Amino acid sequence: MRGPKHARDGIGTACGVVAAGVVAAFLTVAVVLAGQAWSAADPGFLFDPSSRVADRAGIGPALTGTIWLLALTVALALPVGIGTAVYLEEYAPRTGVAAVVGGLVANLAGVPSVVYGVAGLALFARGLGMGASLLAGGCTLAVLALPTVVVTSRAAIRAVPRGLREAAYGLGATRWQVVRGQVLPAAAPGIVTGSCAAFTRTAGEAAPLLVLGAAAFMTFAPRTPADPLASLPTQVFAWSTRSQQDFAAVAAGAGVALLLVLLVMNLAARTIRGRMQGGSA
Amino acid sequence: MTVAGISATRRDPRRLADRLARPVFLFCAVLTAAILVAVVGVLAVETARFFGAVSPVRFFTEVDWTPFAEEPRFGVLPLLAATAQITAGAAFLAVPAGLMTAVYMEYYAGVRTERALAGVTTMLAAVPTVVFGYFALTFVTPLLRSLWPGIEAFNGLSACLAVGLMILPTVVVLTRSALGAVPAALMETGLALGAARGRVVARVLVPAAAPGIVAAVFLAMARAAGETMIATLAAGNQAHLTWSPLEGLRTLTAFIAQSSLGDAPSGSVQYGAFFAVSAVLFAVTWGLHATGGLLMSRRNEGGVG
Repeated sequence: MRGPKHARDGIGTACGVVAAGVVAAFLTVAVVLAGQAWSAADPGFLFDPSSRVADRAGIGPALTGTIWLLALTVALALPVGIGTAVYLEEYAPRTGVAAVVGGLVANLAGVPSVVYGVAGLALFARGLGMGASLLAGGCTLAVLALPTVVVTSRAAIRAVPRGLREAAYGLGATRWQVVRGQVLPAAAPGIVTGSCAAFTRTAGEAAPLLVLGAAAFMTFAPRTPADPLASLPTQVFAWSTRSQQDFAAVAAGAGVALLLVLLVMNLAARTIRGRMQGGSA
Repeated sequence: MTVAGISATRRDPRRLADRLARPVFLFCAVLTAAILVAVVGVLAVETARFFGAVSPVRFFTEVDWTPFAEEPRFGVLPLLAATAQITAGAAFLAVPAGLMTAVYMEYYAGVRTERALAGVTTMLAAVPTVVFGYFALTFVTPLLRSLWPGIEAFNGLSACLAVGLMILPTVVVLTRSALGAVPAALMETGLALGAARGRVVARVLVPAAAPGIVAAVFLAMARAAGETMIATLAAGNQAHLTWSPLEGLRTLTAFIAQSSLGDAPSGSVQYGAFFAVSAVLFAVTWGLHATGGLLMSRRNEGGVG
């Protein structure tokens, strides 16, 4: 609705005041976080290991852990999620398989992350013997991201104009050639946007990792996926619980570092999407 | 076709890719289904085992939750009540605020203001919940305690405020999409009949979008009920029944996250309790989410007006 918006009345004024309140609340979160983090900011903070002394505590292991977790989550969930979406939309629409998988995905997309943590503990940490490792964390977060990746990829594939497929089939292309040559390139920007939102969510998750038994105190940076589970969100949690004992500033610092990781990730996704659109147009 | 011709076709890499594509994609779909079935299955199996040791009737009627005591008691009601309180409190804050913000963005704000508000909403939605939990514990709680000295260090009110802020973007975005689906002609007709803009909004447009707005409320409440880190950090870990938002309480999610589950031995009744609580949480959030989804699809099918 884009009429003349300048007309003001009681309801408009009240709504405007509330909207201003929302902005004020957001700014309060930002200022509190930045203000606290400022006093933790020094170059060593990014690389130092955790410490029992707040002044010397750093986020080295947690930052490395979060980057590992992000890489594992994307590597596991993205191919399977896109593959599932392609199968459901291009190979078997309106079949029993599509109905079952589609129903599962739709119903599990709203399940709280902490429940995925409990399932991940039973399936990956205990069942497959991964323990409280980065691999177990990556697998759990990948399962958490999977429904969203499938749902958004399906939507992106469905939005590809039918004519594009029909033209390719008409020229004698096989189904795989249509998928690879037409459908996936056209759907790619949508898939990247949706998946990036899913991975932004999972990269900020602390709850499932706590359930798996994430380390609150880690003195070395993880080098392989078999190393103990450390991450920025669980580090923010661990330090927040000790905020009375001078750890408030480092907790905020870790929170700001987490937000920066998410920002970099979103900018990277935007760049990739821009390249794709530039290339295919 | 000669035999040589067929074998040449078989060796054609494009034909090979075409033959491999279907099973590979099918494998992905089956893997997705298998993983999700395993998630539900492991919850169901462990919950069933737990109910073999603890009577479901006592689980749902007793009011003591002391799973690690000498004589453990497994009455889930205090956890369930805490989750209901936090969810209702957060919705009480976020629904009116989100609705009014969405109305302002759709019908009153100029293009620039609208864009700025959309930016703030997007950024709020991207903040990890543990950061909101930190904010609640280190800023909201001390603020509340300076205004209201009797309030406990861990309390439901602080968690409600932070969870309300966390679910606000969900309410705003979904309400805007519901309002956006209302035909523009309704506003124009109302204005042409001489009604004030605010009157058309309140009497015609919001009621027309009501099913979508109700769906938004359910989806936001599903998120609030499943929210873990704010409840864990700000609401505390005392499992007791209370109506007071000034006291500490423990939600379903906080119990799961906080009890260092990694240490409970597999097969113990305590280990089973985590799955039973997860199953209850699953049922609550699934119910809210499914109701919201159903209302949403009704809205999309039925049209408005």
